Amino acid sequence: MPEDWDDERLLGALREASRARHDVPPWFTQAGQSAYAWHDIDAQLAQLSYDSSHDLDLEGVVRSASTRSERATIHALTFTSARLSIELEVSTDSLIGQIIPPRRGTIEQQASDGETITAPIDDIGCFYIQPVPAGSFRLRCRTEDGIDVVTNWFTV
Amino acid sequence: MRDDPSVIALVTRAANSDQDAWNEIIERYAPLVWSICTRYQLKNQDIEDVGQTVWLLLVEQLGKLREPAALPGWLATTTQRECLRALTAARRTADAGTLDDALAVVDAAVIEQEILAAERNAALRTALGELPLRCRQLLAMLISDPPSSYTEISATLRIPIGSIGPQRARCLERLRRSSTLDGLGADELRNEPSGR
Repeated sequence: MPEDWDDERLLGALREASRARHDVPPWFTQAGQSAYAWHDIDAQLAQLSYDSSHDLDLEGVVRSASTRSERATIHALTFTSARLSIELEVSTDSLIGQIIPPRRGTIEQQASDGETITAPIDDIGCFYIQPVPAGSFRLRCRTEDGIDVVTNWFTV
Repeated sequence: MRDDPSVIALVTRAANSDQDAWNEIIERYAPLVWSICTRYQLKNQDIEDVGQTVWLLLVEQLGKLREPAALPGWLATTTQRECLRALTAARRTADAGTLDDALAVVDAAVIEQEILAAERNAALRTALGELPLRCRQLLAMLISDPPSSYTEISATLRIPIGSIGPQRARCLERLRRSSTLDGLGADELRNEPSGR
């Protein structure tokens, strides 16, 4: 304990602690509390492991503008978890994806406003979702053999 | 970094389906995640995304954190990583040159200070919450922004102006003796914010 803090210093520290707490908007704290809803759900997190737009950043210097715009129309992403990965190709109005290793299941697109779209995953692991939300969203993938995976929140 | 036994207890409880413990974790550390996001000068939409990802990752890690006491450090590292990801994405869509590369570099020492400040602030808020109601009311008015005058304090709490000073001293002394603040040591002293 800071026993050698005088009263002014202790009050100053309390003021700072209170200010730091009040700087955080309620929506930020509430989102944190809501995240606990995922606690009892047996979904593993699939983390973004590849993003083609990162390549673009690197290659943009040496590639021509036309090549870049051509490549930019297909935005490829990969999310990886211990048991499966999700490969995605994002165009302006749809998401086309495949889970690896391939298996049947259901894919759910969850927008941050709570809206969800569900689509089947066929027996070669492919799925198609339309439309693509404007804001951030995530995908939850449940396979018929019981794998349950959710991606990071992301925006395309 | 100090080993805060209350953090270990909170993480353990939250890992065992205790929503109250989880809320307490958020209450304590949302300011840390928030302050790092603002260091990276993210927009609110990006901060929202970073926050959601960090909390979701924490939910997943609850039962797996090797050193629950190191939670603030884990949160800071995870938040930084997600901030950088958000900045990279923003740069992708922005016109070239509108984002300053320097924004992506937040000094490790700054982050370390944010962690220490977050731990100190959380301990102070907890210790304050453990004081008797009269002390909490008095100290809340003394630290309010703008600070309440002794006249206002006297009227609101119905205590004579002359006894505010002595009561203030007694309440601060109780706070100083609080076991919740035991871990605050030399590091915290050195990092006391200058603009108090």
